[in-house]
This record gives sequence, structure tokens and C-alpha cells, in this order.
Amino acid sequence: MTGRKVVGVNVRKVEGHKLVTGAPAFTDDIEMQGMLYGKILPSPHAHARIKRIDTRKAKALAGVHAVLTYKDVPRVPHTTAGQAWPEPSPYDTYLLDSKVRFVGDRVAAVAAESRAIAEKALRLIEVDYEVLPAVIDMELAMAPGAAVIHDEPDSTKIYDRSHNIAGYILREIGSVEQGFRESDFVVEREFRTHRQQHTPLEPHITICWLDPNGRLVIRTSSQVPYHTRRQVGQILQIPVSSIHVIKPRMGGGFGGKQEMLLEDICGALTLASRRPVKMEFTREEEFYMARSRHPQRLRMKMGVKRDGTVLASQLTVLATTGAYGSHSTTVQGNTGSKVLPLYRAPHMRFECHVVYTNAPVAGAFRGYGCPQGFFAQETLVDEIACELGMDPLDFHRMNVIRLGDTDLLSAQLGEGKEGLPRVVRSCGLPQCMESAARAIGWAQKRKKFPSGHSHLRRGVGMACTMQGSGIAGVDWASAFLKMNEDGSFYLQVGASDVGAGADTVLSQIAAETLGVTLDKVIITSGDTDITPFDVGAYASSTTIISGGAVKKAAGKVRAQVLEVASRMLDAPVDQLDCANNEVFTTCACRKAVSMTDLAMQAMYKEKFQIMDGASHFNTDSPPPFCATFAEVEVDTETGQVHVLHLASAVDPGTAINPMQAEGQVEGAVAQGLGYALTEELVLDADGRPLNPNFLDYKMFGFQDMPKLTTILIETDEPLGPYGAKSISEVPINGPAPAIANAIFHAVGIRIRKLPIRPEDVLRALHAERPANLDEEAMFAL
Amino acid sequence: MFERVEVFYRPASVREAVRLLAGGKGRARIVAGGTDLVVDGDPTARALIDITHSGLAYIRKQGGGCAIGAATTMAELEESRTILALGGGILARAAATCGSIQIRGVATVGGNLANGSPAADLVTPLLVLDAVVVVADAKGRRKLPIAEYLAARGTKGLRQSLLVEVTAPRPLGRRCGWSFQKLGRTALDISVVNVAAGLQVDGAGRIQWARVALGAVAPTAIRAGATEENLQGRTLDAEAIAQAAEGVMREVSPISDVRASAAYRREMCRVLTRRALEECAAQAGCAL
Repeated sequence: MTGRKVVGVNVRKVEGHKLVTGAPAFTDDIEMQGMLYGKILPSPHAHARIKRIDTRKAKALAGVHAVLTYKDVPRVPHTTAGQAWPEPSPYDTYLLDSKVRFVGDRVAAVAAESRAIAEKALRLIEVDYEVLPAVIDMELAMAPGAAVIHDEPDSTKIYDRSHNIAGYILREIGSVEQGFRESDFVVEREFRTHRQQHTPLEPHITICWLDPNGRLVIRTSSQVPYHTRRQVGQILQIPVSSIHVIKPRMGGGFGGKQEMLLEDICGALTLASRRPVKMEFTREEEFYMARSRHPQRLRMKMGVKRDGTVLASQLTVLATTGAYGSHSTTVQGNTGSKVLPLYRAPHMRFECHVVYTNAPVAGAFRGYGCPQGFFAQETLVDEIACELGMDPLDFHRMNVIRLGDTDLLSAQLGEGKEGLPRVVRSCGLPQCMESAARAIGWAQKRKKFPSGHSHLRRGVGMACTMQGSGIAGVDWASAFLKMNEDGSFYLQVGASDVGAGADTVLSQIAAETLGVTLDKVIITSGDTDITPFDVGAYASSTTIISGGAVKKAAGKVRAQVLEVASRMLDAPVDQLDCANNEVFTTCACRKAVSMTDLAMQAMYKEKFQIMDGASHFNTDSPPPFCATFAEVEVDTETGQVHVLHLASAVDPGTAINPMQAEGQVEGAVAQGLGYALTEELVLDADGRPLNPNFLDYKMFGFQDMPKLTTILIETDEPLGPYGAKSISEVPINGPAPAIANAIFHAVGIRIRKLPIRPEDVLRALHAERPANLDEEAMFAL
Repeated sequence: MFERVEVFYRPASVREAVRLLAGGKGRARIVAGGTDLVVDGDPTARALIDITHSGLAYIRKQGGGCAIGAATTMAELEESRTILALGGGILARAAATCGSIQIRGVATVGGNLANGSPAADLVTPLLVLDAVVVVADAKGRRKLPIAEYLAARGTKGLRQSLLVEVTAPRPLGRRCGWSFQKLGRTALDISVVNVAAGLQVDGAGRIQWARVALGAVAPTAIRAGATEENLQGRTLDAEAIAQAAEGVMREVSPISDVRASAAYRREMCRVLTRRALEECAAQAGCAL
């Protein structure tokens, strides 16, 4: 490497000791005097108008301090999506409303002295509903006569409210019609994806109180403290200056907490009761009152030459955002902009309708539209390769985006507006493919399988995926550093560590730049009073954007350190360097001063606080790449699919902390496996969740996990701090298509619907594969 | 979850537990591991009676078979030599599939039966082992064949009684075979379908008796009586197994729910029954 001392090293998490010793680090770990418990009365109906609501009995109950309905709060159209201002999501949500739009929507809220009293108070609220026809099936949302979900006049930024269309996207580069005409083979298929929930270990939780100055303090498990501050101010109609958002340690977010979800109502209850209020979703509430992944129906069409060259690809998507349009066009935009450009087709077209339904609200979720798109694209590509008699690996080698390529679709599809063209300045995808293929034994197993006559059949499949690193031209961050007397540095960042290790990575970047050991960096993050602005933890942005700000700030502080050292060592700045907590001359004289002595000199002799801050943004979003290879065993009698081995090779640019990076890959893979095979929030015909619990919402547990191989293919990204891009999202995209393709290799059926349920596999086996079909013939297709 | 529970008892004997239950006026609930009761959070419960200190955690050899106290945990069943030696160890195998290691450390035999889930993992092996359930109430103890217990569980007669023990007779004779098969969505799951089977063949390979029990495909776990009768006296071969596997599909009445459709469950009854009988045949020394 490059003589780096801290970056690229597997240091332990800076907050690790605190977490494993159970120190009071999380939102819930404080108890405020006089704290009340807030609860939301959820709508029992998918679509209804509140004709009458009477809270007198609830208010009269001893121990109840506040009861709020739509009559008691300001009506401010907004979005709960934690996005940079102006948010591209529709302003279609209200703190409380006289209409409810999904089972679980807010009807009223109470704050009481115990959870039991709060729950009792909810039962005492009398509500008469006018139940309205509900739209549950997204395919019917745009149909003539369908109930209009957002008929209120004051919502804004809705594409076509009378047809329940939250957003619409159409982008084309080249001409797909021409591309398909010039193609030798054109294949079109339809795919369906489902509603996955984030299931963070720590559900959404917020504690609000008024500080002695009467400012509203919001202690909350959020990926977006700054956006939350702005949005709560807007919704409660109080100045941003009177709000202080604190983000403690978090038990996971996965996108579900890129959302202002409890903070507004908890703040409103605090203002109403003048008491601290805690609100926490139960696990059941988390399933349907929080957010989930957008279900989509995708029609994908691709045209290729006989030799396998991709000429044109077209993706047409129908997606539902549920009752509110949080992240509606941006998630779906990604389904096109981050997926199609993986192939170097000159002609691409992406069209998408995002519709409202009376269903739980979809939102940001690790992958942000890409898992759906890549499931379609990578499954279709596998089919095309097999049809052409090509090894899918060769097909990928031939067609995937390369170093130096410009992705023009991204230029057309930005975050809610025109984007910026994306140039591939670093690309480890070829090595990712080769190393993951080796790990899975691709060359041998593609030939050998399927073998034997047992009911257990094995196969291998692959997928290539990419993502972004921050939103180009939108995401930005800042950092501030000051030096202490002992030569340590206080690092303040708005970045929001969700548990993924941002605090550690950002400290590593600061320590590396300043030439100090990691213990000399003390970090505070995600506190709107103390730390400077950061958009928050989303879009795979923290390492590259917040890290970029830290590197810049540290560079400025380093320059100040060298100035002082220059005077102390009587040497010009350009002959100074710092490492191991000292500044030394690079000339033969080898003079040195410790950071401690230097700090004392600066502070008490020169009367000078070494400190500086910096802001950072990028005009490009460098893609991390991933190759996912799966080996599966299909039980042809039960339809069960057992993943035996999953290999992911990822190009994250430089891995600032390789151990944490691998952890991110493995976590994404576990969530990706669940997405592929078992996890689905199921609604009944009336929009009620059927499995809002871990008994029947099946996640991958330890015993279900296959053998994992995780490979980091490091590259040097010019736009990233120390060459870093991102890693937390991209590996979630591959498991579903890789498994679907492995199933085809094993038993010859194409799966185009997620999750891949045993029943569906069995049905497909019965339908597509007569029992006596000759194996050789089938695989000679 | 138990905000209206007023009192928690920990009786030191069955007699005391039964007295407390009778005095609870229908609002007392028995608790052991709590893995069902706590999850259900029954709002009508006013008193909880913890039987984990009532002398009911035991596994005893009894006349060649065994007696299992109601407060015996899944983990204890899993590891007990007596249980591993009983009926090919199918009860131990079923216990080992019951939830996570944490759940198995507290969940009990009595709870698995008394909760009455049609998917309960222990019930199908106990049906195949011809187990007898011992219940106690103020009037004394009674023995009920397990199928009878399952049918009567919710009735007035049993509501005020405590399940204290399950006994399994020793299956006699040579050339027996046993199997327990479970299908879940993930490793940690309630059964989508489970099947237990046991049989014995004579020197000529003819089936002397066969028992097949199926779980999660009817309001309670059931024995497939007609299929068992059809097997009796037949030579244990692939055809007999195939016919039995087809046969059970007519004896079950599965429902569709979020775990699986009725059609899939029915089909899986066939697959798991065939696998169970094949395993039995292998153990009984029958080449198929």
C-alpha cells in the first residue's frame, strides 16, 4: 500500500467497547423525569374518512396528558422522506388528517404516564369512519373509477392525483426501437417483486423534551438528523433554531430511518403536554406503520446481436408507494438509472408509473430500487445468454460497463430532476467476476451440473450489479476539527452512524490525514447543535461524501499544525510531515515535535486554537461494483431452495476498514437472501398485514445462512477520500437474480417472481418440466 | 402484556397447583416456559401459576417405556438418552426442531401439548408412540390417550385440569422403523407440515402395524387411520409406500394461510409421508 497507517487497517469500531459493555448508548437508554409514553391510534381501515372523532373520554382518563387529532394540529402538507430540500417526493402527508389511507395510518395520538394508560386511552377514543372503497392491488390503481387516494386539494407535487399516480418517469437515450430492429434476438419478460421490511433490531424510537430554554430536543434513531430538524420545524411551525436533534447509537436503519416518522408526532405531544414523551414502535407496528421496499411489476426487453452484444434495453415499471409518496420517484428512478447502464447498450429506455395504493407506505430501503431492477435485468440476461448458447459469465465479460465509460442515463435521471453524467473512473468489475467465479467453482460446476437422479439438484448462477456513492450534485456534508492540549483532535461530523461503522471510518480518515493514531481522534456525530450539517446516512454516501469532508477539514487542520511545527522546528512547511502523533522534518536533520508539545505551544504560547472545518460534495456518483455467484440445491419434491454457497466480490474503491467493509457485504447478503427467498410482508384483500411478526415474516437466521465467500477487489477512486467509494448497498442486489439463475441451472425453470417460494418452484417444476424429460435435451437448449 | 395479572404463584406440588387452578375461577393460567403464554398475552388472565417448581421436570423409565413430566424442556428431551432410545428417537428429533436454542431451553412438553397448536412439533411423534396424557384436577388424576386429549383439550372437562405427565409405552418387537419429517420455511419455523411414522414388519417383510401422524394439516394433529389400515398386512415395498403417501392426502384437511396454501400442504403430506415410510423401511431392514 502507500505507507498508510490507519486507513486500510482493520481497527476495531470506535464505539465497540461501549456497545458490548451495555453502556447507555441508544435512544431508549435514558429515563427522563416525568416522561410520558406516546402511542398512535392506527387506522383499522385501508381507506376511510373520519366522520366524527370524540376524545373526551380519553382526555378524562387519569394519567393522560395529551390527546391529539387532526383538529388540534397545524395542517402542513409535507413528505416524510428524509431528503435534501426541496425534497423530490410529493407533499402529500399531514401530521394528522381527517382521512386515513392505509391500515395503520395515524388517526390520533396520546401521551400518558404509562404505556398501559396510553393504550387504554386509545381504546376510549370514539371514531366514526366513513369507509371508502380501497385500492390494494397496484394494477388497479390507475383504472377508471378507482378510488382516489389523495383527493385533498392542498397536497402538492403529485403527478396525477385523479389516477393515483404519485410519479411518472420516462427517459430514453438513443432509440430503443432502432436498437430492437437492429438486434438478432429480442426477449421480453415480466417480473414481480414484493414488499420487504427493514426489520431493524431497534425499531423506530424517539424521545422528545423541552430543554430549560424551551427548545424542543428530539433524541431519535434517525439516519437524517438534519432533514428531520428542518421537517419537524416545517410541520410543527416552529423555527429550526428552537429544535435540537440528537442521534445516539442506532440499532440499524437500512433506509427505514431515512424518514421523519415519529419525530413530528412525538414533538407535537411534547409541545401539547409540556412533558418529555417517548414513542417507540412495537415490532408489529414497525412492520406496517414504518416503511417497506416498493413492490414492482417490471417488464424488461432486451435486444442483442447473435454474438451477444447488447444493443438495446427497455425497462417498463409499475410500482406502488403505498398510501404516501415517500421516496416514490427517486427509488423508482434508481431502478432505471443504476440498473440499465450496467450494459453498454447504445439504446436504453426507462418508463415508470409509481402509483398510490391503500397499503403500507414504501420508502428508502438498502438498494433503493436496484434489487428490483437487477432481479429483472440479471435474470433476463441469463436467459438470453443461455438462449444464445453462451456462458453467462462470457456474456457479462463482453457487455458490462468499463473503466472510462460514461453512463448517459444517469445524466437524465437524477434525484428528482436532471442528473449528471456518470463517468467510470475506477472499475474492479472484471476482477470481481473472475474471483467470485473461481470461489464458486464456476468453470467446473457449470459443466458438471446437473447430475444424478436424486430429488436434490444443484446449480450455480451469477449476477453483476452496481450502485452509486452519494447522490451527484445533491449530497453534501461538512466536518469540523479542533485540537486539544494532549495532541488529540475533536472531530465533529453531521454524519449519522446507523451502526454500520461510519464513526470509525471517519475517525480513520481524520487520523490518517493528521498523522495521529486512532485513539487521538474523538468523534461526535449526528447532533444538530454540536456538529455541522450533513444530509445524513443514505445513498451509500457517508464514506465518500462525509469522508471527503473529514479529509478536507483534516487537511486544513494539518496545514495549521504544520505551520506551528514549522516555527517550532525552524523548518519550512514543505519539509515537514506528520505520523505517529508527531511532526517531523523530512530532511536529513530528522527533527521532531510531538503533537502534545505542539498543541501546548499553539494554545498557551501562541494563543491559537488549531481548528477548521470543511464542506464537501461531488458532481458524480462513482459506482461500486459487485459480482454475486450462488450455488443452490433444489428439492424437486418440495420446491425448497437451499443456498449452499454465496460468493460476493465487491469493488468498494479503497476499503477504509476492510473488516467493516466485509461485515457490510455479509449483512447485505443476509438481507438479500431473505429478499430472494423468504421475506415478504403479506396483505389480505382489505390491506391488513397478515404476518407483522417474526413468527411468520421469515428472515434468514444463522442456521439458514449458506457458506459465504466475501472478496474485496480494491480500486482507487479519484473522487473518493483515499480512493474510497461505497459498499453498504451494492451487495444486496445480487442474491435474488444469482439464486434464480442457479435454480434454472439446477432444474431448468425460470423464476420471475419474488420471493422464490417453494410452492411457486414446485408449480413451475410441474408445469414446465414433464417428469420424463430427458436431462441432456433440456440443457442443450 | 400482563398488566391485569394480579398474582403470580409458584406452587411446590401438583396438588397445590391444581388447588390454585381451581380457585382461579377460570382466570388463572398455567405457565412454565411461557413461550406461548407470554406471546399471546391473554388479557383475561388474572393469576399465573408457574409449575416449573412443582416437581414436573423429569424423564423416567417406566415399564420399558417412559414417563415425561409436563415441565420437562425441549432441550432436556433432545439430549435424554431415554428419549433418544425411544421409538428411534423421533421425539428427541422433533424436540430439536422446536424453535431456537433459547426457546428450547424453556419451552416444555406440557406447553407444547396444552397450547393445542395443530403444528406442535411433539404431537405427531407422541401420536405415533401411542402416548398417554395424564391430567390432574381437584378430583384426582386421569389418563387419556393423546388423540382423546387433543380432541377434548378445550372442553369444560379439561379446562380446570393440569397436564402433569406424558407416558409412552415401550414399542415391542424387532424390525421396527421410525421417522419424523418436518417442513418449515426456514430452519427456525413452525411446521408447514410435519409427519411422524412408525411401523413393524414380520420376518416376511409384511407390515404388522403402521402408524402415520400428520401435523398442521387439520384442526389438530391427526393419525391417518385409513392409511394405517391399508398398510397393515401388506409387504413393505415401494408400491405400498406410494399408495400410503397418496392415501394420506385424502385424510387431511389443510387450510391456506400465510405459511402455505392448502394445495401445497396436501402435496407435502404425500412427500413427507413417503419419506417417513422410506426411512421406516430402511430401519426395519426392508429393501425398497
